[in-house]
Amino acid sequence: MTARALALCAVLLAAGGAHGAEEFSFDAAEFQKKPIEFGGYVEFKQQHYKLNQDGALYLLNFYQEPRETLDQSTLTLKPSGRFRFGDASLNFRAHLEADWETRGYDRVARFDEFYASYKPNPGFTLDAGKVSLKWGKGYAWNPVAFVERVKDPNDPELAREGFTMLTADWIRNFEGPLRTVAFTPVVLPAGPNVNPDFGSGTHLNVAAKLYLLYRDTDIDFLVLSNGSRSGRYGADFSRNLTSNVEIHGELARITETQRQVTTASGTTELVRGSATSYLLGTRYLTARDTTYIFEYYRNGPGLSEDEMKSFVQFVDNAYALYLATGNDAPLARAASLASTGYARPNPGRDYLYLRVSQKEPFDILYFTPALTVIANANDRSTSVAPELLYTGFNDVELRLRAFFLNGGAGTEFGERQISKRIEFQARLYF
Amino acid sequence: MLRVLFAALLLAAALPAGAADGNEILRKVDRNLEPESYEMYRKLINIEPDGGRKEFVLYSVKKGRDKLIALFLAPPSDKGRGTLRLADNMWLYIPNVGKPVRITSLQSVVGGVFNNSDILRVDYAVEYNAESVTEEKDSHVLALKARTGEVAYDRLKMWVDRKVLLPTRIEAYAASGLLIKTLHFKDIKDFGGGIRRPATVETDSPLYKGHRSIMLYSQLKKREFPDEVFTLNYLPRVEDLRK
Repeated sequence: MTARALALCAVLLAAGGAHGAEEFSFDAAEFQKKPIEFGGYVEFKQQHYKLNQDGALYLLNFYQEPRETLDQSTLTLKPSGRFRFGDASLNFRAHLEADWETRGYDRVARFDEFYASYKPNPGFTLDAGKVSLKWGKGYAWNPVAFVERVKDPNDPELAREGFTMLTADWIRNFEGPLRTVAFTPVVLPAGPNVNPDFGSGTHLNVAAKLYLLYRDTDIDFLVLSNGSRSGRYGADFSRNLTSNVEIHGELARITETQRQVTTASGTTELVRGSATSYLLGTRYLTARDTTYIFEYYRNGPGLSEDEMKSFVQFVDNAYALYLATGNDAPLARAASLASTGYARPNPGRDYLYLRVSQKEPFDILYFTPALTVIANANDRSTSVAPELLYTGFNDVELRLRAFFLNGGAGTEFGERQISKRIEFQARLYF
Repeated sequence: MLRVLFAALLLAAALPAGAADGNEILRKVDRNLEPESYEMYRKLINIEPDGGRKEFVLYSVKKGRDKLIALFLAPPSDKGRGTLRLADNMWLYIPNVGKPVRITSLQSVVGGVFNNSDILRVDYAVEYNAESVTEEKDSHVLALKARTGEVAYDRLKMWVDRKVLLPTRIEAYAASGLLIKTLHFKDIKDFGGGIRRPATVETDSPLYKGHRSIMLYSQLKKREFPDEVFTLNYLPRVEDLRK
């Protein structure tokens, strides 16, 4: 009996030991590179908007059906994949979106990226197809991002749609203070059938970036030829001052810009000239794992405070005319002007950005609360966005955010379509 | 008086010798743990007090004293996230963001108990100076002090197995003297190519009571890479190095 009990104990112990060993086993063979790979995420986002019924942009969009609130549900699928054959690969990242808003339904289906890549050695890469390049060192804005779509400072880490292009990358390393030189030329055709939204006319646009790692500083020199967009050139840099402070900056010179300025009476004037945009920023990490990101952005071609106010006055006048006579032609014209300037992201001239995030406060693992403030430094209107991010569940990311837009009459954030917004986002990675 | 002076001279001569021995031991520990240039796979497991787990799989490559890359292969939410370290310069690449961003070297690239010094560790002898060596039963005990303020732990106390010159335990301290974490090296395994080292490193921390973290090593082997691999532009393409 005792022998049987002992034998049983031995078996149980052995089983326990085997389980323990299995618990921590790891064989990298499970993670060998495969010729075909898929991944991505599916995201559900629910948003509730409190509309700003005094805002100029609200009047333009809701003058026919006024309302106080709006709800929006968005389901997004972002699959990505890679097919490898030797030194070449075919890569894609798609964007499939279904959007249910109080007023209707919309959907989007597109490839953000779809390109073939040839990499015969680590020092050379050739990409052809739809590619999303990311130039610049700024977190919220990138004035030197000459060949990409505008970044949304509310979501600077969101993947964006690329442009169809041919691009290469040469990398060379050296001993001494200049450690790395990398050259990235870009050929980007644009016309009615290819990259129609890159700019005006039909052109073969050429751009290039030269990257240097010189004395522990990242430096880029960037240029875009005159074509679909006016010619521009610039530079950026980034370096660590200490182990917890990083600084960065960008400078862009646009040889010829034009912006439509609207007077209170509705007459428009095309203002032409060269413009300089720049950005200065820092990233600071405290001993308590709080990260501060602060940036100042000078948007050279942006609208001045008076130009913004004149446009708002024009909308107010147009709305008053609509109420008095039912004639909405001036409002429709204002809506058209808004879409090309005033309602675009960052229409103003000077902006400040501050993001404060705290990694895992109160020892709550995978939890990051943050606060983001974007301010138009000219009219002192602001967008304040607190957020909570939790990534503790395997493959799941949960984010709760609110936006509070503040500003008086005639200011950028005070005239926006919404005054408050709350959003919940759940993302499942696969 | 002369005797006192003689004794003081002897002591002064003995102290640097101890430190020199300590640094020599440390250099041997470094080479016994990993070749100077290598590739390897690691699984990081965070175990929470309620038994919940989060696992990460990393592919790492290193060249020379201070060039290192770590690429996340799992979980899917972190897949493709890469970190490059060139001496004290560090960059983080997140696939969604689409470009490498320079980060401060103390910024954590992954949540949980692990920090950058676990994921992007260069040789101990590069970051630490052995201030003294004491002897215990089967071990040398090295008192290590960070050479600069750029590292996560100001001081380490390292127990080194005298026979195989491999660490068995490391205690990591903040500048304030606070014990931040203890690493336990276990399960010595033959990885081939003359590499025989612990395949498991368990970590516990008084700052995260009840939490444990395990790092498992696999396919650690010597491999040489061109310098161009350790550049900002190549970081998004590190996956291509895997065979």
